Parts: sequence; structure tokens; C-alpha cells
Amino acid sequence: MFLRMIAGVLLRQKGKMFMIAFTIALGASLATAMLAVMFDVGDKVNAELKTYGSNITVVPKEASVVSDLYEVEGASSVPASYLREDELGNVKTIFWAFNIVDFAPFIEAHVNANGQDVTMVGSWYNHHLSLPTGEELDAGVVSMRSWWDVVEGRWLDESVAADAEKVMVGVALADELGVSAGDSLKVSGSELSGSYEIVGVYEAGGDEDGQIYAPLDLVQELSGTEGLISSVEVSALTTPDNDLSRQAAKDPTKLTAAQYETWYCTAYVSSICYQLQEVITDSVAKAKRQVAESEGAILDKTQLLMLLITVLALVGSALGISNLITASVMERSQEIGLLKAIGAHDRAISALLLVEMIIVAIVGGAVGFAVGFGFAQIIGYTVFNSSIALSPMVIPLVVVLVIVVTLAGSIPAIRTVLRLDPAEVLHGR
Amino acid sequence: MKRSTMYFRMITASIARRKSRMLVALLAVTVGATILAGLVMVYYDMPRQMGEQFLAYGANMIFVPSAESDGMTIEEIQDAIDEIDAGVESDIEYCYESATINDAPIIVTGCDLGKTYATSPYWQIDGELPSAPGEVLVGLEQAEFFSLKVGDTVPIAYLPPDAAAVANGVNLNGEIEGKVFQDFTVSGILDTGGSEEGYFFISAEDMESLIGAELTYDVAELRVNADAQELQEAADKISDAVPGVSPQLVKRITESQTTVLSKLSALVLLVTIITLALIMITVATTMTAVVTERRREIGLRKALGASDGSIMLEFMGEGLLIGFIGGLLGSFLGFGFAYLVSTNVFNSTITFLPALIPITIIVALAVTALACILPVRNATKVDPALVLKGE
Amino acid sequence: MSLLELKNVYKIYGDLHALDDVNMKIDVGEWVAIMGPSGSGKSTVMNIIGCMDSPTKGQVLLDGVDIASVSSKGLTDIRRDKIGLIFQQFHLINYLTALENVMVAQYYHSMPDEKEALEALDRVGLADRAKHLPSQLSGGEQQRVCVARALINHPELILADEPTGNLDEANEKIVLDLFRQLHDEGTTLIVVTHDAEVGAAAERVITLEYGKVTSENGDTSFGKAARKDVV
Repeated sequence: MFLRMIAGVLLRQKGKMFMIAFTIALGASLATAMLAVMFDVGDKVNAELKTYGSNITVVPKEASVVSDLYEVEGASSVPASYLREDELGNVKTIFWAFNIVDFAPFIEAHVNANGQDVTMVGSWYNHHLSLPTGEELDAGVVSMRSWWDVVEGRWLDESVAADAEKVMVGVALADELGVSAGDSLKVSGSELSGSYEIVGVYEAGGDEDGQIYAPLDLVQELSGTEGLISSVEVSALTTPDNDLSRQAAKDPTKLTAAQYETWYCTAYVSSICYQLQEVITDSVAKAKRQVAESEGAILDKTQLLMLLITVLALVGSALGISNLITASVMERSQEIGLLKAIGAHDRAISALLLVEMIIVAIVGGAVGFAVGFGFAQIIGYTVFNSSIALSPMVIPLVVVLVIVVTLAGSIPAIRTVLRLDPAEVLHGR
Repeated sequence: MKRSTMYFRMITASIARRKSRMLVALLAVTVGATILAGLVMVYYDMPRQMGEQFLAYGANMIFVPSAESDGMTIEEIQDAIDEIDAGVESDIEYCYESATINDAPIIVTGCDLGKTYATSPYWQIDGELPSAPGEVLVGLEQAEFFSLKVGDTVPIAYLPPDAAAVANGVNLNGEIEGKVFQDFTVSGILDTGGSEEGYFFISAEDMESLIGAELTYDVAELRVNADAQELQEAADKISDAVPGVSPQLVKRITESQTTVLSKLSALVLLVTIITLALIMITVATTMTAVVTERRREIGLRKALGASDGSIMLEFMGEGLLIGFIGGLLGSFLGFGFAYLVSTNVFNSTITFLPALIPITIIVALAVTALACILPVRNATKVDPALVLKGE
Repeated sequence: MSLLELKNVYKIYGDLHALDDVNMKIDVGEWVAIMGPSGSGKSTVMNIIGCMDSPTKGQVLLDGVDIASVSSKGLTDIRRDKIGLIFQQFHLINYLTALENVMVAQYYHSMPDEKEALEALDRVGLADRAKHLPSQLSGGEQQRVCVARALINHPELILADEPTGNLDEANEKIVLDLFRQLHDEGTTLIVVTHDAEVGAAAERVITLEYGKVTSENGDTSFGKAARKDVV
């Protein structure tokens, strides 16, 4: 009989029950979408922040006293030490390899171009890497210098064989030399000279505007540094620094075994640096504090912001739904009065109403979950051009939320209604 | 008694004497209005607040001497800063000079070191910033190269360019004449992971006494709270107005900020829209439930001879009163939320948007009105006899 | 002069003939009881006379106007201007005081007048309860508020549907006394009931059975049996 009564309500009061289920579905979809986005926003924003360029630079241990310094002095040759190109692949073998989204080697050479002394930089552009893990990656300057404007021509393209003998020129240098895309440039390095076509002119808004960018191999040949690179820039997704990571950054050997374990297995910028040093001989991996710290701060703020917005949205929809359930239970005070009049116990009535509400909540919640996941994907694709991963935390959270909200909405209302005198409810309204 | 008096008497009686139901409706509207006001305010203020965070990436505009000038005076820089309409969060001027330590070439940078807290919050200093005259902050690379520790004394030698040009002999100590020696105490070692690690930093006063001339600056770094376009406009203005200064945008910062900030704005906007749409529907359904409950009363009023129009008017009056109160409450609670976000997330206060109060109230009114119209219309369509007999 | 006349009125729901060729005539100043067991069609008659429902077929002349052909808006106006309604379940607005409930009727009719409304309450003996909410009044008091509400606009016709159905004997007597007073003042009263005592108080009893008028005088023989149906 109990089941029949419930079925009766659900089937015959379709309109009202549908409205409640609909509202619960809305609330559940909101909760799902917000939670899914909130849990994933860190990774997404972190990836976006990579437009600020690399956050780790790997240089040789015996790096010359700052090549910057000599540039200022105008010196043309620097006694320098190098890293080995063949060790580059190791970058993607470290513990946090998966967090390394981009990296590129750099070699600098001082050359003479059309009669002027300039710095020529060799690097990767869209270097295609097929990793043993099966990951495919286009690494290089194109993505790591996303703020560059190619004002004329195009980027160097490593998939085009002919581009191996071509160069790009900074906008300031191009002005000075009076060259533009399509022209050829005479370059003489310490070992080799040649004439190379300019495929593009870029504007970087920095020192690079006065430099020539060319494929790695070309610069190595010109300067006789085959197989050598002067630095590696790495873009890694990192966890914002905390006390542990700062302590570790100073000297990892001073950590306790447990701390070391935690630190090594967390994607702090310092632990990634440490791991890079382990795989590249005689290298120093330095965090670019400016980038790393700012990223950490922005990431923290974004996550906190999303958390607060999520809490507001959840509290709002929870109140809204509780409210609606309260309203709809109160609306049925007459029916409840009748049930009491024919001798139903309070407990039986409460059970009846609660089971009804829970069935409605489960249906609404399930539909809402699916819709909310859809909303999350809409947000993901609209904003970040990628899908939002569903954190396993979301499902239990949404379930608990829906149940708590439904109970919180029904119980006080049921108690209020039960307190009413059946005669009064049936007649005196 | 006027009809309007009775009208208000009925509406206020309904709200005052049906407390629990009205509370339910008012709560729904208030929650909706709070979320509307709060999210919109956060969305509106976010670019500015987040923009401030992005300033931590460093200067987004630099001044360098223009082609015809050797160095910028502090007055020129101030003139240029005055040309910028947007808020200049901080500025710092650097003067680079070559010097030597035991004949090894180094670069000494003179600047107002106190300003680095604001311009370069990412600097990690082992030790302290120079505070007394004769103190130097040494970049990590240089400290390693020269094996310097905090507290060490280092002799820095400066050869003025004119002295170098006329240098005609070597004094008894084997030193070039005109060379200025000064001992500095290392107050701290600077770790940035960037090019700053290759410099020695001393105060502007020490720099003046070292080079024995008034300082002209080689670079000024500015953090301006503005987007790329505003910066470009400011730069154009400065180029025209201050001939000695050539302003440049730091593209890496400005472009990236534009990209990331626009994504974040889009995220908050989408979230706001979805949340609002859903909350408004919840508000509407709750209002609908509250009104539907009163079908019987609507039937009675009809039986007493009320026209559909006047019933609609009464229910709308009630709904709109609730909408108004809820909207007003909500806009203040929403501001409270935005303030909470602002202080917790961004450590700053939020600008209150007075325009948001009427907007919130209007939206709350519209939603409640819409939510009342449908159920009241449905109720008035039913024959009063049916309603009065009880379903 | 007849105030109300039903001519060959039918009300058909699907196959059910709720009213089947009903004819009746009620004169100004008359006190008529319409009686009949449950399902006899008396509620339908009441709704049609009260302008809350329209007949399927036939003519209903109220003051010479055929209300079967009036629009629903027109019905509302007639109801407002000519009819005072009293219900078994009272139907007071529960968040308005007794006085305010009376004033609502004035409000829809013309102009709310607190003094006049108080006089009406005084007349039903509730002047001291004017500021009470319906939930603070007894059933009898609530019904007396309804009577006050029904007579406030001086309607030509007061239509009462089981007015004593929810009342004890003492209150029933008070309400019937009120009706008697109204009748003495010349108000036309139609009372739908299946209570023989209430029916007996009327001048004339019209009995309905299965949608048809079966008697037009004081025959209330079925009344005692019907009493068992009272819920």
C-alpha cells in the first residue's frame, strides 16, 4: 500500500513532481559543473600561464659569468661551456616528465650578418618529438614564445626540409639591415659562412628583436659547436611553492627522508629543477622566480576565486531547492491533514513524504549530473579549448549534496505540517 | 477609505501574517539576488583585481633613453610617468655602470633598492637589502664567481669614461689613474633565476658617490595597471610628449596577460551566466509553488466578484514587494560576497557599484513578476466553484 | 415579480446528466431551500445560480437577464453586484482579520468602508471580534463573518451552500436566526442543504433527485435518511 501511495503521488502529481525534479536537476547540474570546473581549473589556468614562457632554465654548471654582462660590454666571443644535445631527450624521462609541457634547447653564436655583428640563436621551432611513452609533442620556440608577433613572412617550419637552411630576423635588426622576408642574408660564423633566406621577421618586444633566429643545426655548424647547446628552457606545470619546497630549494640533502619523499614526488618547481639536474650532466636548472612565483600566486588566486564562486552557487542552489521542497510540502498540508485524520501515524506520513522526495531527488540528481557534466564541457571548450576532466571527487560530493539538500528541505516542512491539527487543516482554511 | 489603502492593507497583511510562506519566497528571491549581485560584481571587478596579480610577472612597460639621449634624468622619467592615465602601480629606475673587482669586469646597478619590494616581489634574498651606505646586494652568479658571502667586503673599482680616455699612466700601485675605489659590504645574495643574478646592486646615493656625477638612468621599469591597448596608447603619448624617453611595452607580459586574463574573464562570465540562469529558474519555481498553493484563495476572490485583472494586480503587488525587498537585501548581501572574495582572494577592497542595486532589484522584480503571472493566470482560469469545492 | 427563473436547464458532464430539464422560479423576497441527497445536482444548481458555472442547455434568468449567454467576465460582474455567497467551508482569507474579510467584498464591489463593515459585523454579533484572524474564531463565528461578508453589499440574492454543514446546533440556530432577520428585511435567500431543519426554516422547499425537480413544497421526508450522509 505504501508503494502504491508513492506511485500514486509520483504518477498523478506529475506536474508538481516534475517541477521539483527539474529544480533538483538544475541544482545538481550546477553543482556538477561548478565542482568539475573548480577541480580542473588549476590545470587549465596553469596551462594558460605557459604563455608567459618557460619557468625553468637549464644552463651548464660552469656557465660563463653571465653572457648578459658581456653583451653589455660588447664582447664578441665568450669562453663558454655547453650542455650536450644528446641528453635533451632525458628531460622527458624525469619523475615529473608528464608535467613538462614544452622545452627547447638554445645555442647562441656571435656572427656577422651583412657586415654587422649580431647574436644568432639556434633553437627548435615546432620540433616533433615521439616519446617512448607514446606521447607526441611539438616543442620549440613557436609555443614557448607565444607572445612574438611574426610581422612579416612566417615561422620557421621544421617539417619543411628546406627550412633547415633558412633564418628569421628580429624586427629591429631587419630595420637596421634594411632586409625583409624573402631576402637573403649573408652570415659568417666562426667556422662557416653562407647566404640564407629570411622566412620571417618577428617582433618580440625585447632583446630578441636585434637577433637572428635559426634552426639549431644551422647555428651549430656556423659556430662549430655541433652536438652542443648553451641552455634549455623548460615549461613545466608546477605546484605553487610552500615552506617545504623553499627549504628544499636551498639544500635538498637537509630534508628528512619523509620530507624528501614528499618533496620529490610533488611537482614543485624546485623538485623538477632537481630532477632535471639529475638527468643532464653538469647542469644547473634554475627556476625563473619571476615566472614561477607569479604563476603560483595567480593559480592560488584563481582556485580560491573559483572555490568561493562555487560555494556561493552551491549554497544558493541548495537554499533554492530546500526552499522549493519546503514550499511544495507545505502546499500539501491538506492531504497530510487527511492522512492524519484517517489515522496515519506521524512516522508513516514522514516516511511517505521522504521516500517520495528522495525518489524525485535521485531522478533529478541523475539527470542533473549528466547535464552538469555537459555544462562543464561547454565551459571547457569555450574558455580553454579542451575538455574538463571529471575529478572522482565530484560524484560523491554531488550525491551527498543532493541528499542533504533534499532532507534539509523536507524535514522542517514535514515537521511544521505534522504539527497542524488535522481538523483545522481540513476545514478552517 | 480609499481603494488603494485597502489594496496595500491586503498585500501587507498577506506578507505579514503568512510569515513562513513569505519567508520561503523572500529567501528564494534574496538568494537569487545575492548571487546575481555578487557574481556580477566579482565579474566586473575581476579584470582589475586579477590584473594586479599579473603585475607580479614584472614590469609591463619600460622606458629607455631615446636614440638622441644618453640617459634619462629622473625629471624626464617623472614627466613621462605623468603622461600615463592608468594607474602606475610602481616604478623603478636603474643606472648600469661597468666596474671591476680585482680587474674582473662587473656591472654595478644603482637604483632605489627600497622600490624593489614593489617592482620585483619575486626576488629571493639571502640576507638583506642594502640599507646603510656602502652595502651591496650581489647576484647569485656573481656571488658564486667571486666566492662572496653575506658580510664579506668587496672592493669595487670604477673608472670614469673620461678618465679612461685620458689615462696616461699607471700609479705606484700599478693602478690606472682616476680609478675610484670603494669598499662595499655584502648585505645579501640575490636569487631570481634570471639575468639579475649577474649584477651588483647598490643604492642610488652610493652610485652617485662612486661615479662622482649626477645619475642618469638607463632603464626605468614600470608596472602599469592597464591592458595592452591602453599601454600602447600611453606609450604613443609619451613618445610625443617627452623626447628624451622612449617607452616600450614588454610584450611577453602584456600579451600573455591579455590572453590569460581574457580566458579567466570568460570563465567567470560563463559560470556567472549558468549559475544565474539556474538560480533564477529555482527562484521562479519556488515563487510558482508559493502562488499555486493559493488557488483556493484566488477562487474565493473570484466568487466574491473580483475580476481576473484585480486578482492579478494583488498577487503581482505582493510578488513585486517581495521582489523589491529581496532584490534590495540581495544586492547588499551580494556586495558582501564580492567584498569577501576581494579581501580573501585579492587582499584588496572592491569598488561598490551603485548601479548594481537598481539592476538587481529590477531583475528580481522581473523574475518574481514572471513567476507570479503564470500560476495566477492558471488559477484565475479555473471556475471558482471547482476550486472552492476543494480538489 | 420573479427574481430568478430556470427554464429547461441541463448540465451534462459526458454521459452524466447532472441537471436534467430543471425548471424553477423564485420571487423577490422569497426564502427557498434547495434540498436533495448527495449527487442530486443541488451543488450544480447552486453553482449555476451563483454565476460560477454555465448550464449546458437552457435559460437562467436573473433579474430578467439570461446568464447562460453572459461571458465569464460578465458573470463576475453579476456575481459581484447581485449575489452574496455563503459556503459550507466558510472560505475566509486566513491572513485577513474578520473586519478585513468583510472589507474585501466591499473592495471588489465598490469602496471599502470600515464603518459599514463594522456595522455588518455588529449585526452578526461579532463587533468585538473584528480584529481577530479566522484561525482565532470558532466555526460558528467564522460562518457569521461569512454572513456579514455576504450581506455587506446589499445583494439582491444571498446564496448559501450548506451554511450549517460544519456547525454545531447552537451556531446553526444563530445562523438561521440571521437568515430569518434578512428574510424579514426582504432579502431573497436561497439555501442549498440536506439538513431537514434548515430546510424547514425556509418558506418553500425545492427537492432535487437525480438532476430532476421532484417536489416543489415542504416535503422533506427523505431528509432524515440523508442526514446520515453528513461527513
